[in-house]
Amino acid sequence: MSAHDWGSLADSSSAREILDSALGVVAGAADFADVRLIEAEEMRSYVSLGGDPDERIEQNIGIGVRVLVDGQWGFAARPLASTADAAVAARDAHASAVALAGRGKPVSLPPREPSSGSYATSVGEDPFSVPTARRYELLADWLAAASAPAEVAAVQAGINAKRQHRHYADTEGSRQHQHFVETGAMVLVTARGHGDVQRRSYPNSFHGNTAAAGWEYLSSLSMAEQAARVGEEAVMLLTAPVAAPGRADVVIGPQQVSLQIHESSGHALELDRILGDEANYAGTSFIRPSDIGSLRYGSDAVTITSDPTVPGTRGSFAFDDEGTPARAFNLIDRGIVRNTLSNRDSAARSGQTLTGAARSDGWGYLPVCFATHVFLQPGQGSLDDLLQRMGDGYYIDDNRSWSIDNQRLNFQFGTEVAYEVKGGRRGRLLKNFSYGGITPQFWGSVEAVAGPSEFRSYGYPCGKGEPKQWGFLSHGASPMLVRDLRIGVA
Amino acid sequence: MSSFTAPVASDALLETLQKAAAAADADAVEIALLGRAGEYTRFAGGRIHQPQNITETQFTVRAIVNGHPARSACGTLDGLASAVSRAAVLARELAARAASPGHAAVASAGLAAASSPDSSVWYEETEAFDAGARASLAASAMRQNAGAAGMFGRAVTQMAVVNSAGVARHTLATEASGSLTATVDEGTSHWIDLHRSASALGVEQAIERTVREATAGRGRGPLADGHYTVVLGPQAAGELIGFLPDFGFAGELAAAGVGLLATPGPGTPVAAPMVTVADDATAAAGLPIGFDLEGTPKSRVALLDAGRVGAAVTDLTTARALGTASTGHAHVAREEPPRPVAANLRLEPGDQTEAELIAGVERGVYVQRFWYTRLVDRVTGTITGVSRDGCFLIENGRLGAPVAGARFTHSVLDLLSTVDGLGRDLRSQPVMNVWNGAATAPALRGHNFRFGAAR
Repeated sequence: MSAHDWGSLADSSSAREILDSALGVVAGAADFADVRLIEAEEMRSYVSLGGDPDERIEQNIGIGVRVLVDGQWGFAARPLASTADAAVAARDAHASAVALAGRGKPVSLPPREPSSGSYATSVGEDPFSVPTARRYELLADWLAAASAPAEVAAVQAGINAKRQHRHYADTEGSRQHQHFVETGAMVLVTARGHGDVQRRSYPNSFHGNTAAAGWEYLSSLSMAEQAARVGEEAVMLLTAPVAAPGRADVVIGPQQVSLQIHESSGHALELDRILGDEANYAGTSFIRPSDIGSLRYGSDAVTITSDPTVPGTRGSFAFDDEGTPARAFNLIDRGIVRNTLSNRDSAARSGQTLTGAARSDGWGYLPVCFATHVFLQPGQGSLDDLLQRMGDGYYIDDNRSWSIDNQRLNFQFGTEVAYEVKGGRRGRLLKNFSYGGITPQFWGSVEAVAGPSEFRSYGYPCGKGEPKQWGFLSHGASPMLVRDLRIGVA
Repeated sequence: MSSFTAPVASDALLETLQKAAAAADADAVEIALLGRAGEYTRFAGGRIHQPQNITETQFTVRAIVNGHPARSACGTLDGLASAVSRAAVLARELAARAASPGHAAVASAGLAAASSPDSSVWYEETEAFDAGARASLAASAMRQNAGAAGMFGRAVTQMAVVNSAGVARHTLATEASGSLTATVDEGTSHWIDLHRSASALGVEQAIERTVREATAGRGRGPLADGHYTVVLGPQAAGELIGFLPDFGFAGELAAAGVGLLATPGPGTPVAAPMVTVADDATAAAGLPIGFDLEGTPKSRVALLDAGRVGAAVTDLTTARALGTASTGHAHVAREEPPRPVAANLRLEPGDQTEAELIAGVERGVYVQRFWYTRLVDRVTGTITGVSRDGCFLIENGRLGAPVAGARFTHSVLDLLSTVDGLGRDLRSQPVMNVWNGAATAPALRGHNFRFGAAR
C-alpha cells in the first residue's frame, strides 16, 4: 500500500487485508465490530475578484474501528500511514469499550444478514483528469460574467470535485467497496450600494451545488449565463422594494424547498434525535416514536421519501456507513408520518424499521443518522401552472438565512429573491423576503406541488454529532404552493 | 488507549518539515500541520453511547510560483514529499497560464509572537481528564434524577508551520471541553465550556448547577412577544459576539468595502463604551494558539474597542488588499475558500456577578442559551434565532417564572449599544466551522431586545 498516491485503495483485495487485520485484533473479544477504511481526495479551485486563484488538492486515508463489548461501544480512528495503524485503531477501540464495562445501559444489536458488494458512481468524464487550464478558463468566464455590473463588490467562483474509496467490513461477514465521485460548482455575488448589501448565488446558496457525477454535471449548469444573471440580480436587489408583512400565498422554488425539507422534515425524522441522543448538540424532534404511522405532518399533497439509491445526487450510496443496504422509504405518505431515518442502534432500541441512514464524515467519525436524500415527491403541472393556480402572491427562491428551533417546529427563513405575482404572472423583484411558521401547520398548508419536469435536487453539507462532523446528502423538490403563509417576519 | 501525546512525534518535526519545504520546486513554500488527538465521552439516555478516540492530522502545503499559490494536503508525514511536489506542480501550472505575476507570498521570519503560546497552552491537569474520569462525570450527570445528555473530552492539539523564508513554529496545546443538557420534566438547562485546562471547567459544580437550573425550569410558560431588558448568560452572550466578524471585521469583507469598517468606519461608536470585543490569542481563556497556518504571529485585534469600531482580522492576502500587515488569522475551512477568521474571540468581562446583573432589572428576561442563530441582515447586524434552556422572567431583580424558548429577530449591534452591565465570570464555546476556534464571554445586560415568534 502506498498512502500518498491516489488509488492505493482502489484494489479491494489490498483493502481487505487491512480490514481483516483490524477485525482480527478483536475477533472473539467483541460481540460485534465493524471497520471503515477510506481514501479520499478533494480538489477545489477558487477565484475571486482581485485575488489570486486558489487551487487546493487534499488527500487523506484512514481507518475507523467500532466495537461492541458486553453491550458497550468503543470507537477509535486514525490516519493510515501503514497497515499497522489498523491494529492500533482496533486495539484502542476495544480498550475503550472494555473500560466502560458495567457503565450504563447495554446495547443489543439484532442479527443482520451480511451484505457484500460494490458500487460506483456513474461518471462520464473524470473531473480529476480535466486540465487546470480548462478549469481556470471557465472560472475566469464566470467571474467576468458575474462582476460585469459596476456595483458588484465581491464575487467568488469555484469548481470542486471529490473521489473516495470507502471499504467496509464487519464481524457478521459483510464486505463492501464503494467508489464515489462528486463534482460541483459555485458562484456567489455580493453587491454594495444605495446603503445596502445584497447577495445572489447559483446554483445553490450553500457553497454551490455538488452532484454525484463527473465533469459532465458542470455542462448542465450553464454557469456563465447564470453567473451573469445573478450578478445583475444582486445589483437590482439593492434598490428593490420589500414585500409588506402579513399573510400571503406563496410559491416556493425548489432550492428553498430543499432546505425547508432538510431542516423541518429530514432532521425531524432522524431517529437518534427522536430518541434524545442529540439533545445536547444537534437537537431533538417534535416527533415521538409513538407518532410513527399516525401523526399528520402535512397535507395530502405532501409525500416525502428517502432514497439514497437515486443516482446523480450528492452522497448517493448502495450501503450506508454501517453496512446496511440502501433502499427507498416513504417517510411521509400523503401527509402521514410512516418511517424515520434510522441506524442499527436506534432502530434496535426503539423497535422502528431500520432504514439505513447511518452516515459519517469519513473514517474519523462514528456513523450517526443523517437526513439522507430526503425528497418531496412531485405532483403535477408546471411552475407556470402553479403560479396560475395561486393567482396573487409571491414566488420566492434561493435561501438567504435559516433558523429552526430545537424540536424542528418554529422556523424562520429568508430568501435571496422574491417576485410579486399578480394574476398568475411574475412581476417586480423584491428583496429581504422572509417567512416563518410551525412545521406541521406549514406542511399542512401545502396545496399543490409542481410536476416532475420542475424537480431539482441539491447537495448539502450538514453538521451533526459531537465532535461535530459533516454529512453530505441531497434534498430535492419541485416548486410548491403554500397558502396563507406568514411573511415579512424579519 | 491514548497516552495523551502529540498526534505527530515532536522530535525533529520542524527539521523534517523544513527539509520537505526545501525540496519544493517553487519560489516559496509553506507547510502547516494541524493535528488533534482527542478522546470524547458522549452520553445520553442513561448510557455512554459514543465513546470516541480520534486522531486526525493534516499537512497542508502552499507552494508559490511567480506569485501564484496552490495548496496540497495529505494526512501523514510519509505523504508529505508527494504533497509538496503536487503543490509545486499546480503552482507552476497556474503561473504558466497567468498573464501577469500574482501577489501571493509567505510570512516573513523574525516577527515575534504576540504571546508565548508554548507556556500558556499546556496544562498537566488535562491529562487526568481521562476516560475513567469522564465516564464517572457522565454517570454523575445521569444519576441526578434528570435526563442528561452531553459530552466530556480532552485532546492534544498540535500545530506547526515552516516556510522557505525561515519561519519555524510549533506548539502543543491541551484542550478540555464539557457540555451538558439536563432535562427535568419540561425544564431544561445547558452548560458548555472549553479551556486548555480541564480544572478550569469546574465540571462537578457545572453538573450540580445545570441540574438545579433544569429543575427550576419546570412548568415554564410562553414568553409574550415584546421588547425586553435582558440578561444574557455567558453562552448566549458568546453566541452574539460570534457574529461580529460577519459585520465587516473579517478581512475579505473589509477589503470589499462591506460592513462597519467601510461604513461608518474605524473609531465610530456603535456599542456601549463598556463593550470591548477582541480576537485575543494572548488570553488564557478559549483556545489560544499564538500563530496562524501561514506562520504569522497572532496580534490582539480589537473588533470593538470601548464600543468603537476597531479593526479587522486578516491573513496575508486580505492584509495586502487593505495595505496592512497580516494579523495572523489565516484559515482554510471545509467547503469554503480560504479566508481570515477570528479564532479566539473574547468579550472583555466586567466586575459584576450574574445575580448582580439580574438585580438591576425590574422586569425582563434571563436568557441562558440561544439556538440556531443566523445572520439576517449584514448591514443592520440583525440575526434570528430562538432562546432555549434555562430561560426565566426577571421580576423585581430576581429570577421568576421559567419561560419557554421564543424566536427573536434583533440587531446584535443594537443590543450591544444598550449594554450597561457585564459579568466577571467567563465561559467559552466553539466557533462553528473554525478549527481550534472559540468565543468567550461573560454575562451581559442589555435593553429593548425584541422577542417575536413566527406564528
